[in-house]
Amino acid sequence: MAPVDVAKARNHGILPRLWPLVALLAIVAVIALCASFAPIVLQRRATQGLINLIAVVGLYVFVGNSGVLSFGNVAFMAVGAYVSALLTMKPTAKAVFLPELPGLIAHAEWPSLPGALAGGGAAAVVAFLVGLPLMRLSGVSASIATFAVLVVVYIVLGNWTAVTGGQNSLMGLPAYVDLWTALGWALAAIIIAFAYQETRSALQLRASREDEAAAQATGVDVVRHRLIAFVISAFLSGIAGVLLAHFLGIVRVENFYLDLTFLVVAMLIIGGRGSLTGAVAGAVVIAVLTELLRQIEIGVQIGKTTIGAPPGVGDVILALIMLLIILFRPNGLAGGRELTWPFGRGPSQRAIRNDSSGNPV
Amino acid sequence: MEHLVQTLVDAVSVGSLYALTALGIGLIFGVMRLINFAHGELITFAAYALLALVGLPVPVMLFGAMVVAVALALITERAAFRPLRNADPTTLLISSFAVSFFLQKLLILVVGSRLKGLDFLPALGRQIEVMGVRLQLLQIATILVSAVLLVALTWFLRSTRLGLQMRAAAEDFRMARVLGVRANRVIAMAFALSGVLAAAVSCLIVVQTGVVQPRMGLQLVVIAFVGTVIGGLGSLTGAALGGFLVGAASILLQALLPPDLRVFREAFVFVAVALVLLFRPQGLIPARGLKERI
Amino acid sequence: MNASVPLLDVSGLVVRYGAVTAVRGVDLAIGEGEIVSIVGPNGAGKTSLVSAIAGIVPPAAGRIVFAGKSLAGIVLEDVVAQGIALVPEGRHIFASLTVTENLLLGATVRPDAEGVRADLDRSFDMFPILGARRRQPAGQLSGGEQQQLAIARALLSRPRLLMLDEPSLGLAPTVVDQVYGLLGTVREGGVTILLIEQNAERVFGLADRVHVMSGGEFGLSGTAAEIMADRRFDAAYFGVHMHETASDR
Repeated sequence: MAPVDVAKARNHGILPRLWPLVALLAIVAVIALCASFAPIVLQRRATQGLINLIAVVGLYVFVGNSGVLSFGNVAFMAVGAYVSALLTMKPTAKAVFLPELPGLIAHAEWPSLPGALAGGGAAAVVAFLVGLPLMRLSGVSASIATFAVLVVVYIVLGNWTAVTGGQNSLMGLPAYVDLWTALGWALAAIIIAFAYQETRSALQLRASREDEAAAQATGVDVVRHRLIAFVISAFLSGIAGVLLAHFLGIVRVENFYLDLTFLVVAMLIIGGRGSLTGAVAGAVVIAVLTELLRQIEIGVQIGKTTIGAPPGVGDVILALIMLLIILFRPNGLAGGRELTWPFGRGPSQRAIRNDSSGNPV
Repeated sequence: MEHLVQTLVDAVSVGSLYALTALGIGLIFGVMRLINFAHGELITFAAYALLALVGLPVPVMLFGAMVVAVALALITERAAFRPLRNADPTTLLISSFAVSFFLQKLLILVVGSRLKGLDFLPALGRQIEVMGVRLQLLQIATILVSAVLLVALTWFLRSTRLGLQMRAAAEDFRMARVLGVRANRVIAMAFALSGVLAAAVSCLIVVQTGVVQPRMGLQLVVIAFVGTVIGGLGSLTGAALGGFLVGAASILLQALLPPDLRVFREAFVFVAVALVLLFRPQGLIPARGLKERI
Repeated sequence: MNASVPLLDVSGLVVRYGAVTAVRGVDLAIGEGEIVSIVGPNGAGKTSLVSAIAGIVPPAAGRIVFAGKSLAGIVLEDVVAQGIALVPEGRHIFASLTVTENLLLGATVRPDAEGVRADLDRSFDMFPILGARRRQPAGQLSGGEQQQLAIARALLSRPRLLMLDEPSLGLAPTVVDQVYGLLGTVREGGVTILLIEQNAERVFGLADRVHVMSGGEFGLSGTAAEIMADRRFDAAYFGVHMHETASDR
């Protein structure tokens, strides 16, 4: 296509190109808005759902673009949570739980936003350091290695009693995360993820997803692009961890291990790991599902008896749904596609229709 | 001196356990390119089978554990993995993760998540003296059982028709099929063998810890995975060696590290693994035929 | 020589990979005892054709009848039991297994252990270099030796039809001579041969009949002598369709 035509197509297509982003932001905002009129219990669940959304989007940034499954993102959530907790907790609270904390941290009392950014940043740094060796591994080995990262972080955080309290919970965190805070961060996460996936680096990474050998042959530095995706993914996951900690008001290393990993991975797989729409869809669907299952577990009262499902059914059903999706619809609900502009043809569709001299039809 | 020998025996014993676990994982990876997270559940379910059969004679308990593990392995193969046989490795990995969690949560639903005590073969907890060194009978038993299973598996792979077919399938699955090797048979055999190995590991673990809980398999398998990767995915010798090294290293570090750092020993092992992978991303003993295109 | 019913009868074969049609309606008949060769450039569809016959890829259309029996719907693992053995492009020997183990795998579908042992010895006679290296891992063999191994392995299933996909690929000319000499011996043993090659010149001395394949279709067909003399060979090889006119003859 002649250069002039490309520019023309780009300008005409700016809204269709941004449509997936705009649509997703709108959907998430509307859901949050509806939740704000609901009773406080539902609001809290919506807040948790938004935090999960950030976690899934974070995971998606790496998995969706590189094609490599990561089990380690919950470790980055943990890092984010602990770093933010340590920086924002009141010194008096820290003195109670973590008497052996080094002075500088023990006396720190940061406001929430710098604390959150520090949490995300710390997660990104860890990802960078860990990713340097890791990203050179091939797909499955890399995935297992990320699993090892999860375990290592769990062991370290769970035993570094002086700094983290070890297996004990850290309580008394400033619980500043409400529905609107979570929404704000969720929208930011979606924007960041979308902006990233439109970059050249992400495009080249996605090219390597299909055929690693071919991509390398054309000079694509797969390792570097993977690392970039990994670090951004870790930042977002770190933020999710920060928000989780400051929503619950406590941090426990046990909360950032296999069960949460399974939940986040399940959300991404069910929604569809190939697109941002899939990530968001997964979060929304699981939020709705967990709500339904919770009702089922609570049960229905008929007369004096309550008929409900035994606790733990929800997890089994979630695992089963994930299995069924993998077996019958492996690309998830979104099928690897983003939301498409419903009106007219977008620029990519326009680009296909050229006559033999390359002029757009 | 005695302490040194004890530590070494302990290292070999634990290393053997992880080697067996890694072998079970490696067998399946060889024929299917699938990393079977659910292998941990085979171990867990075998342990619960022991629990369920308490009071019966020991051989019956052992047999029951083996039957449960093998049956579960074959069921998961047939139901969850066969439909995905030609899927890409990441999809396979996700499905095994899902199967693993499904089984674990199902088990928790049925038996609850608390751990249960199980006094199995308490006689093995005795200490005996070997050449002046006090060792646990269980450690000797672990090493012996592992050695026997290793020899048996090697004999099977090298000397039987089906074993030869499995080795061929692991190297070049399609060519094996072109020659008439039955895909289903070879894969089912790999799963069955992995079930046997899982049952053995399960029994040994139960004797050692005296505890049965829904997470026990997963904890083992996480470390074994890492061992398989470091040993070289696709190579059985590599898997066993990698598993052994990781397990043994964990014990040796426990002995060598200063007391406050001991709890971090697994972290150190994994960091060491990362370093190995940095210099040798294909593992210590990479498989032939793990095709590098181009 | 040729029985009235061909050993292999392929009609209207179409092979597709997604949107790409690799074989566009091919008819091929091979009589028992013949050596038939299909030559053509890269991408002509030769491997796809052979893969379809061997059961590796399912045909999109067409019939494959072998020894009077339709191969439709037969699973890959069962094809060798029908009497068709494939030496694929690139040989695909099992590098980590010994020469003997490779050969034994060729006999996977055979129930008669005694017969297999006898055939194993016969292979070592026919391919002495394999006999010398029988306990070595196959990965240590040279290219030509591996090709011999692949052929010997295929023969161990006692096939009626032996298909070879580019056996001369990557081999030195003298080695290729050796391999082709062996193929002559194989035919004398009563095995029908389908030989796929890029290097057309080679096959003219060995094949009874030659088909020139290009762009998924057969262009010229005839005896080796006819094809060699035909001025239209280059065009057919490189895929330019020529319409036969009286003045061309």
